[in-house]
Amino acid sequence: MDKSKVIVRFYRFPNRLRDKTAGLAPGKANISQEAMEAAEAALNKMSEDYPDWVSSLLVKLQEQHGRCVDTPEKRHEFFEEINHIAHDMKGQGGTFGYPLITKFSDSLYGFTVKRPGEITDNQIELVKSHVDAMRAIIRGRVAGDGGEIGAKLSESLDEAIATYEAS
Amino acid sequence: MSDYDFDRVNVLVAEDSPFIRSLLVNSLKVLGVGNVFAVEHGGDAIHFLKRVKNEPMKVGVQQVDIIISNWDMSPIDGMMFLRWVRRHKDSPDRFVPFMLITSYTEPERIVQAREMGVSDMLAKPFTIKHIGDKLISIIERPRQFVHNAEFFGPDRRRQKLGPQGPERRVLTDKSEGVEVIRG
Repeated sequence: MDKSKVIVRFYRFPNRLRDKTAGLAPGKANISQEAMEAAEAALNKMSEDYPDWVSSLLVKLQEQHGRCVDTPEKRHEFFEEINHIAHDMKGQGGTFGYPLITKFSDSLYGFTVKRPGEITDNQIELVKSHVDAMRAIIRGRVAGDGGEIGAKLSESLDEAIATYEAS
Repeated sequence: MSDYDFDRVNVLVAEDSPFIRSLLVNSLKVLGVGNVFAVEHGGDAIHFLKRVKNEPMKVGVQQVDIIISNWDMSPIDGMMFLRWVRRHKDSPDRFVPFMLITSYTEPERIVQAREMGVSDMLAKPFTIKHIGDKLISIIERPRQFVHNAEFFGPDRRRQKLGPQGPERRVLTDKSEGVEVIRG
């Protein structure tokens, strides 16, 4: 074919990855149940260390909050860092059995996304409410949906958001 | 039903969070993946792939079969890394399955990744089952690659749905201007 006339090329290759992993025989293959269970067990083992890991991130959030209070003119810079940490935490909590960390850090991520305008004292307070709620989760090892304690923490964080947003 | 044997599979993992990185490496190894190479960001990943191309004996791997990369990394993020893999002349394999992991859930982000030629996406937080399902999807449901003036990557149409009503799509395999390349 005249190369200049080609509008689109379709590349269709034999599935070498399947040959490599499932052999040449047709039919369905699966990941072995044993391997899946072993991987789950390894994840559970790692989850034991998750509270320590996330505590170090919470300390970082707290430091950034302190800077926002001390150096108001640099709040946008600090918020960027807070947003970045929140983004990280949002992606991890649920994997290690702490969906509430994912939920709260998602909320923190949402309102620290870069936008023009002044960052008010209320917004800084709201950062603190989020950090406090997450610290409570980790301190109490509130895994899963957290039952009653989880519901209470969610509720009081929602109240804090409503209060600061209204004022 | 037989089980997959991942022993001859080489996976490159690019993830900046040490905790998630060791989780991914661990999980893949426990699932039986023969070689898992882990790097901290897109820049290191590019460096690694260049070495695979130029000195495979030294690196100990001829070809990377699957790339799993976080999106949000510094200084070179997952999207820049994906662009390099799909478009750069030094890329050892522009067709390699590329799975992006991300906490971004905004629809425009998903579209952005698809337009850049991502093969699959894994949403954070993920579970072991999610990782397993994505591996199966990459092995069992590869898509043809499409190359035109605006796009290079796995076919963005995943399903073979016919149009509602008469077929009005202009191009078929036999149309002038369509070249089908079979490996």
